[in-house]
Amino acid sequence: MKNIHFLIVFLSNVAVLSAQDAFQLAPPLLKYPSVFFTKEAKIDLVFAEPNTQIHYTLNGEEPTENAQRYTHPLSITKNFTTVKARVFGKNYLPSDVVQATFIKEGLPIKSAETTLPNPKYKGSGAKTLIDNEGGKTTVSSPTWLGFQTDTVDVILNLHKKEKFKKVLIGLLRDYGSWIFLPEKIAIYAFDDKKNYFQLLDNQIFNQSKDIKGSFYTPSVLSLKKSIKTDKIKIQLHVVKQIPDWHVGKGNRSWIFIDEIKVYGDE
Amino acid sequence: MQRKDFIKTTSFGLLGAMLTPLHRSPYGQYLAKNEVILGHNNKRYKINTRWSQADVARYPVNNCHEMVQDKKGRILLLTDETRNNVLIYDKNGKILDSWGKEYPGAHGLTLFNENGEDVLFICDNTRHQVIKTTIDGRVLMTLDYPKETGVYAKAEEYVPTETAIAPNGDIYVADGYGKDYVIQYNHKGEYIRHFGGKGDTAAHLSNAHGVCVDMRDKANPCLMVTSRVQNAFKKYDLEGKYLETIDLKGAWVCRPVIKGDYLYAAVLQSNSRQWAQSGFVTILDKNNKVVSNLAGSTPLQRSPDGQYSGAQVEEMYQTIKAFQYPHDVLIDDEENMYVAQWNSGKTYPIKLEPVV
Repeated sequence: MKNIHFLIVFLSNVAVLSAQDAFQLAPPLLKYPSVFFTKEAKIDLVFAEPNTQIHYTLNGEEPTENAQRYTHPLSITKNFTTVKARVFGKNYLPSDVVQATFIKEGLPIKSAETTLPNPKYKGSGAKTLIDNEGGKTTVSSPTWLGFQTDTVDVILNLHKKEKFKKVLIGLLRDYGSWIFLPEKIAIYAFDDKKNYFQLLDNQIFNQSKDIKGSFYTPSVLSLKKSIKTDKIKIQLHVVKQIPDWHVGKGNRSWIFIDEIKVYGDE
Repeated sequence: MQRKDFIKTTSFGLLGAMLTPLHRSPYGQYLAKNEVILGHNNKRYKINTRWSQADVARYPVNNCHEMVQDKKGRILLLTDETRNNVLIYDKNGKILDSWGKEYPGAHGLTLFNENGEDVLFICDNTRHQVIKTTIDGRVLMTLDYPKETGVYAKAEEYVPTETAIAPNGDIYVADGYGKDYVIQYNHKGEYIRHFGGKGDTAAHLSNAHGVCVDMRDKANPCLMVTSRVQNAFKKYDLEGKYLETIDLKGAWVCRPVIKGDYLYAAVLQSNSRQWAQSGFVTILDKNNKVVSNLAGSTPLQRSPDGQYSGAQVEEMYQTIKAFQYPHDVLIDDEENMYVAQWNSGKTYPIKLEPVV
């Protein structure tokens, strides 16, 4: 048994050396008009390199070679479905995983109001947040509203009083562009009787530092129990001091939001 | 570790038999880097990641921006490392010479044979100048920011990235990190005109990072100018009249480099995966159609009549992470390719040999 154990160690060492000396495949392209959908989202996975295959999952697991092989466009109907895809080929190391989460239409929103975005990233104003457009990772995309204020207040007016349980906020994370997740998000509902926004819940975000590149980060916040309301306020707190590990340490970060959806009990 | 060595050291019967059931993972099957062949059609290359034999301590590099070959066959590399802005190699990767400490923003390197003598044009981003030198670095002429154009108020607005020299000696400077104009001078450095610039029409440019004189059609010489953020080359006549756009969707092309019938360009990165080391190299034929992408997506297939299928250009992107941020390509007199890279861990250029 000892011998076999030794062999395994030896082989895995060889494997590591050999792997470092090989090239890795780049990830496949995920193509879709928007991550937001009403009935169905169609997604193309693209990778034009001979002798490679795309494998994907829809259950959140990391795709392996045993995962479903991509052959034709995917159709997604379930809310918050995450597509994870990866390329495998015999000559190269498997690619990193790319992923996108597809988000279904929520409670109908009549109108939105926001803190004034930075003039460089003002999209089409507050309605940008309820236009079903987004999921892009390009900072310059007009689907984004970009803010550098201390807090960003978003008020959503529903058509009528509805049961409200969950909110989804489409955020961008791109440390290279000094775009962080908010430090904190607080959720309020308007209380008609008292004539003020009542705090329902708030959530603190941890900024993981080991990410590189631009990431679409749809974040779902769930209340402990639903509340009936027709007016919701979401307050996002910017990272006022960028942490020490980042080149912009001590400076204020940005917040980028492209869409907000609210849901009842599902 | 070479793959052959790996096979040798593991070719014991017992080990081989053990390997299969224990490790289904196919590590041993991956190609070693130097066995990889990149590209498509008749433009395929074997990659050599260990071309440069330079001693890092003695000949350091920072960004490796551009390369040219002189009439003696030597390879010149321009880097913004001011311990040696120009490294001179032989084709086997041996350092022959070096010079230059005064180009902190060394970015563009163009060689021109002027009445039998090789001269160089260096664009310096930091100095906001174009400097003409002899092949061994003696300064012949310095072009400051082009006040004569009337579009620049101060030197800082002008950040030249590339030059191209026409057969008559006219100098074209691309202000790729400034206002995106191309400024034309005569051989004495006297201003003639400027064109391009930022704007919304097809004749405008966005990140005019490179320029070259395209003599492939002898009767109609033209300028090929990079519009990198637009993922395109734009063609102008030698008087700056806009002719057409060559759409290279998805590809952040650097300067166009012409050798024979082909146009070669380093692609800094894929538009679909920005600032994530997603570069590759693209090659266009004399009709400016992509025929090969090294470490990039397979070009559209030609139909039997020689036409490309579909009117739309299909988006291009990196498929193999063989390069990080390619910034320039050089094709030498033996059709070998060299790729210089920006922001790629201070690594030396990569050589690629054609596969025939």
